Amino acid sequence: MADKITLFVNGVEVEVESGKNLIDAVAAAGIEIPHLCYHPALGADGNCRMCLVGIEDGRPPLVPACKTPAQAGMKVLLDAAHIKKIQHDVMEFELINHPIDCPICDQAGECKLQDYYMTYHGQPSRMTVPQVQKSKKLDFGCGVVHDQERCVTCGRCVRFCRQITKTGELGIVNRSDQARVTIFPGRPLNNRYALNVVDLCPVGAMTSRDFRFQQRVWFLKKSPGICHGCSKGCNIVIDHHREKYADDRIYRFRPRLNLQVNGYFICDEGRLSYRRENEGRLTVARIGGQPAAVADALAACRDELQRAQKVVVLLSPSCSLEQMLAAREWAARHGAILSGFSDGYLKPGDGDGYLIQDDKSANRAGLLLLGIDCRRETFLAALAEAQLLINCDNELERSFPLEELQQLLMGIRTILATSHDSPCAATADIAVPVASFSEYDGAVVNCDGILQCFRKAVGKNEPLPDMADFIAALDGTAADRAGLFTALAALIPALAGQSADTVPAQGLKLNENEAAHVSA
Amino acid sequence: MEVKILSARFHLKNSNTLKVAKKHGAYKTLDKLFATAPEDVIDEVKRSGLRGRGGAGFPAGVKWGFLPKNTGKPVYLAVNSDESEPATFKDRYILVKDPHLLIEGIIICAYAIGCHDTYIYIRGEYTTQVKVLQAAIDEAYAAGYLGEKVAGQDYRLDVTVHRGAGAYVCGEETALLESIEGKKGQPRSKPPFPAVAGLYGCPTIINNVQTIASLPFILDKGADAYKAYGTEKSPGTHLFGISGHVEKPGMYELPLGLPLLEVINTVAGGVWKGRKLKGIIPGGSSTPVLLPEEAADATLDYESMAAHKTMFGSGGIVVLDETVDIVQLVKNLIDFYHHESCGQCTPCREGLGWMLKIIKKILRREGTMDDVLLLRELCDNIEMKTVCVLSAACTMPVRSYLDKFRHEFEAYVADAATAQACQ
Repeated sequence: MADKITLFVNGVEVEVESGKNLIDAVAAAGIEIPHLCYHPALGADGNCRMCLVGIEDGRPPLVPACKTPAQAGMKVLLDAAHIKKIQHDVMEFELINHPIDCPICDQAGECKLQDYYMTYHGQPSRMTVPQVQKSKKLDFGCGVVHDQERCVTCGRCVRFCRQITKTGELGIVNRSDQARVTIFPGRPLNNRYALNVVDLCPVGAMTSRDFRFQQRVWFLKKSPGICHGCSKGCNIVIDHHREKYADDRIYRFRPRLNLQVNGYFICDEGRLSYRRENEGRLTVARIGGQPAAVADALAACRDELQRAQKVVVLLSPSCSLEQMLAAREWAARHGAILSGFSDGYLKPGDGDGYLIQDDKSANRAGLLLLGIDCRRETFLAALAEAQLLINCDNELERSFPLEELQQLLMGIRTILATSHDSPCAATADIAVPVASFSEYDGAVVNCDGILQCFRKAVGKNEPLPDMADFIAALDGTAADRAGLFTALAALIPALAGQSADTVPAQGLKLNENEAAHVSA
Repeated sequence: MEVKILSARFHLKNSNTLKVAKKHGAYKTLDKLFATAPEDVIDEVKRSGLRGRGGAGFPAGVKWGFLPKNTGKPVYLAVNSDESEPATFKDRYILVKDPHLLIEGIIICAYAIGCHDTYIYIRGEYTTQVKVLQAAIDEAYAAGYLGEKVAGQDYRLDVTVHRGAGAYVCGEETALLESIEGKKGQPRSKPPFPAVAGLYGCPTIINNVQTIASLPFILDKGADAYKAYGTEKSPGTHLFGISGHVEKPGMYELPLGLPLLEVINTVAGGVWKGRKLKGIIPGGSSTPVLLPEEAADATLDYESMAAHKTMFGSGGIVVLDETVDIVQLVKNLIDFYHHESCGQCTPCREGLGWMLKIIKKILRREGTMDDVLLLRELCDNIEMKTVCVLSAACTMPVRSYLDKFRHEFEAYVADAATAQACQ
């Protein structure tokens, strides 16, 4: 914890953390200093001049707050007439050459220019001469579309590509009001985090080809979530909306700040993985390849269980801890062999040491934490003797080529509970649709041993059962999800006394040998 | 009135060559220099009261004193030879007529501040000048005045010439450093000041060519001899570039503190063609204009100019005769600063373009009084809200023209109103 210092804002004493710049320091105390170019992940640049504040008895008396460290006893002037005048004037300058095309701009509703105009300017334009014209609809690559006229040349995108991805594709060329953000000829954006510039852009200059013109942002419900694209477990905002007469649908994922996990950003692959939540889903059950009601399919599952002596339960490494625990308890009760074999989720060499991980599953650490065997040979040995395989959404086609998989499963009855349609779902004897991660509550452990809880974000018109519900239904009962978390808390020392609501927002760092404490 | 201190060797044939320069006294201070402690050199310069000749007039010795001691980092000297302020043409004379004076000054300054690597940042347009300067540096290296052992002493000094690419803003010291570092020439926020974190993050002193060229005289003859010229607070001599509507435009070396009108009338031969004086730009295009009546009691030194609410600037005096169209002049002025705005800070980037369009509208006789008032207001809204003073370099003079020659703008607006009425 950093030291606290006391300074004055508009004559009022405020206690802030030392070692921060004025914007961040007083923001923590709930005081906003307007800014466009400053971003905590990218540092101060000082070009927008929106954060100029007065320092009483200071030399100089006018400073950019982004470049000024908070110091004890500092007397910051924010609501003085001359500071308000500067904010007003800077907004006027930002807007004179701005197209003000908010009605067709995707940023409208989450635009700093709009917000600041309402707060700090609010006057009709005095611009009676022609505006500067620049290029629009520029394809910057990686699905980023740029509008130079909307741009306020704050340079956040440029700094992102230089400092964070270190690829440096973007630059500001030309001087004066001809300055514009651009790429080098024939060298578009080419990095796996490029779409972050869309979030970073405080105005509508950077838009995502994927999201452009899809939805007005004020209709979007913003629910927190955890990306399940890889084992990093990046924190995301799930923006979703139920159009009239339609189903709840996700329009985009955006990064959500968690300094312990992903910081301010997410990768493009994870960002675009929202599509998988909307598309390719299994929504009806199948018995012998024929559509069936979920209740009938579950009944058929129970019949299969009656007949089978040797059962193997296979878990997906992306299942939540609760689902894994439900499966573990079920397998223990029924003498079934439980496996978490999922080598196919590993893509060696794909990780980049930043956010993207080799492991494309969300909760492999959870499998290990619960002591679930993930070895290939034990899974294959179990399968060789098995009569029935209950596959809990493990995409086996990732681990085996389809033909080999058919060979392996020859003579074995298969029940697949899955969120997505797949070749396996087509050939399974019984396929049961289950909810995907945006549709249930759960907890996952990421590659760094950080346990994070997430909540159901999307409510479908016809909700699909949680995997834990499916497992309980195999016994003809209902899942006790609160009970599952309590059981987890009893197993994992770091969770002792916690409920899903009390786990800190930035996640719970499990200690190194936590797994050793959890007995199977 | 003229004196010959900086320009002592300017009249000599081949004065740019080492042979001629040395014959007439170049590098003769070096023995004395290396016999003096660096701190004593700084003290002598402080005592001489030498002020920065780039325009701001900050005391050179005091600036050197800002260097932090024992940082473990190298100290750099950057010689500002960008000379991009319109109406300024003094440093180019030193570069071409007496480059060895500059090199001698560099050796003195470098020794005083403990610098072993000096960069001369020269504007890109100075093609002839850079050739002459580089030739002189090469000669100095060959003669042992630069390199591993300066003048046989155990002191290394390397001088590198860095050519700019034609940006006015690179005359601003931190933009100059960015440019040397190979980046886009955009001023840095201060603090930290270059003396603490300058070139490549190391302590750096940036001085104008003329400041550096003044050092050999100060070291040779002493601070008192230097202070014999000029006024108490503005001691020494200055190269003045007098241009515009005068009979004898040119570069003249004068002691500071001379009456402005007298200089124009005697040294520069007075307003040409027998016309009347309309105004005087005292020190480069960015300094507010003086009316003849204001100029009457003005003297050419920092204090008098400040008292007249303008600036001494770079010594580039422009004389305007009665035929000058001030509105046209202001358009040219804004056009230049708009073109040269680095585009970093919002007020300057957007505001100067707006001002240019307004003044063009007034010139087209389409403007209204509101436009004139808006132009005046924009000067206030832009000025001093930016990282560097480029915006102020435009708004300060524009404001002075708007205030002192308001009737000329009103006349354009009245024409516009008449034209409107006739339609």
